[in-house]
Amino acid sequence: MSALNSAVRSHAEAVSVSRTIDYLGLFIFFFVVCGSYHIHAMLTMGDWDFWSDWKDRRLWVTVTPIVLVTFPAAVQYFLWERFRQPWGATVCVLSLLFGEWVNRYFNFWGWTYFPVNFCFPAILVPGAILLDTVLLLSGSYLFTAIVGAMGWGLIFYPGNWPIIAPLHVPVEYNGMLMSIADIQGYNYVRTGTPEYIRMVEKGTLRTFGKDVAPVSAFFSAFMSILIYFMWHFVGRWFATVRFIKQS
Amino acid sequence: MKLLKDRIAKWSMVSLLTAFAATSFYAPNAAAHGEKSQAAFMRMRTIHWYDLKWSKEVVKINDTVEITGKFHVFEGWPETVDAPESAFLNIGIPGPVFIRKESYIGGQLVPRSVRLEIGKTYDFKVVLKARRPGDWHVHTMMNVEGGGPIIGPGKWITIEGSMSEFRNPLTTLTGQTIDLENYNLENTYFWHAFWYVFGLAWILYWVRRPVFLPRFLMVNAGRADELVSGTDRKIGMAFAAATLVIVVFAMSTANSKYPITIPLQAGTMRGMKPLADEKSAVAVKVEDATYRVPGRAMRMKLTITNNGNKAVRLGEFYTASVRFLDSDVYKDTTGYPEDLLAEDGLEVSDNSPIAPGETRTVEVQASDAAWEVYRLADIIYDPDSRFAGLLFFFDADGNRQISQVDAPLIPSFM
Repeated sequence: MSALNSAVRSHAEAVSVSRTIDYLGLFIFFFVVCGSYHIHAMLTMGDWDFWSDWKDRRLWVTVTPIVLVTFPAAVQYFLWERFRQPWGATVCVLSLLFGEWVNRYFNFWGWTYFPVNFCFPAILVPGAILLDTVLLLSGSYLFTAIVGAMGWGLIFYPGNWPIIAPLHVPVEYNGMLMSIADIQGYNYVRTGTPEYIRMVEKGTLRTFGKDVAPVSAFFSAFMSILIYFMWHFVGRWFATVRFIKQS
Repeated sequence: MKLLKDRIAKWSMVSLLTAFAATSFYAPNAAAHGEKSQAAFMRMRTIHWYDLKWSKEVVKINDTVEITGKFHVFEGWPETVDAPESAFLNIGIPGPVFIRKESYIGGQLVPRSVRLEIGKTYDFKVVLKARRPGDWHVHTMMNVEGGGPIIGPGKWITIEGSMSEFRNPLTTLTGQTIDLENYNLENTYFWHAFWYVFGLAWILYWVRRPVFLPRFLMVNAGRADELVSGTDRKIGMAFAAATLVIVVFAMSTANSKYPITIPLQAGTMRGMKPLADEKSAVAVKVEDATYRVPGRAMRMKLTITNNGNKAVRLGEFYTASVRFLDSDVYKDTTGYPEDLLAEDGLEVSDNSPIAPGETRTVEVQASDAAWEVYRLADIIYDPDSRFAGLLFFFDADGNRQISQVDAPLIPSFM
């Protein structure tokens, strides 16, 4: 008699225990990913995601998808390889966004009174859905890396544009041309964040005129492919079942 | 075992009550900006703020406060701090309790970083609009890239009223008038909520069936392919297609609603206009300078030459925002922060008027508790133990000559 059989006395009880484990597992999984992915996000994209006047068409577009494709790649491997579940990327970004919103609402707004329209996080769900559905339909990590991660990088800017477009409307502010986002950054004083550390619109990508966002998105997409590939090995490492076999 | 559990429970309760008492009965506000902990040499030898005025001490929500004055970029800028090639005129407040409506250097609006020239003096103005009620310490501040924040004097300002009354109106170049406090907020919440629900729907589709154990056993048994049905694949395709369609639709809608947008504005502003160079008519040479640690007093031996055409007297020594005055010569009427003002803190061995053409050697003592309170005495622990500051000389008509001093400082422990 196996250990599993001996743990329950009927099929109904086995189903009940299994569902209880599901709910507990999902709860724990959600918050473990939330904590770890959130720390990773803060340490890597940090201010680019904190403030509307950092969300530019060059560096924000480039950096954010690259540094955030990491956990989805690893968790996708774990959930797909061991459970055939194609929602690893989506659960990652939902847990991250949950943590982000708690942080932005209670810390940035509730504690220090920065308006939420200035410190909202980026939308990541469209890219995650693409990653998950590509893995579901292809069943291939390589295909998911090439097509899914590219989609993840490419869809980031258009996915966020409905929120940031209103903040890029021009204003004449005491004789200077500024976007609304620039004015938010200027008005709402950040004593510890001087303007010069704002890394926006830097670089030599000038030959494309005003159309640099697609170029940045393509670069980000290519890098996301590489990072996805690397981080799926992290998932492979975490998804090991050797210890189960040994016992 | 029970004894151990009882003890743990007892001490947990005691700890909880102690923590509750500690946080409930005494929880003071932390209102400082670290100005006292910044290295003394940095405050003495980088930016000298003077002629500062805060237009009001009590304001209502939506009222404005102006901070005006001058700052001198010191010639003896320390090597350990990067030169102010990229600097930002900031304001030291605890978060956006005020909003910064305007800030000017030499009459130029400076919403971005600027390049400052060492040795030059600039006038500045910062206009703040009251947003959140409370008592707030408002500092002038210059951030220097590679150097950090160089904080100036701070003054307490009280804001009265309710934050709900605060408005921040703005008119765009497309003719729309908005309130920055809540502009685009509903749109932000809507899209985040929409995509969150969309993502949850994707997960819920899968987790309505067994999630972990049965699937793990199936995968281990080599029957993983049975776990994904044709319907699952069709649903997956539908979600992918819907995602693409919604993103394209939302983007095109945003483009048609906001056809004119500009990129974020960035880049260092150059060409800040300094005040005209006025060569001081009073030349000062520091013969020696000592800091007497027990007496909280700095003594300087100065040789002063008056090259002007009017007799002058030394009225003020300024260093690191602390002002030592000889009240017989000059009295402050600007409401300068009291903790930074030593109204009788300057003693000059012979402060009779120095006639035009006369050279005189005098002993000057600047003493006040501010040396200790503002941790300026810590300069003796700095890697480059020099002091610096400005000397203000006044003639009988109240005209002012400014000379700067910069010399080694020898501590005295006796």
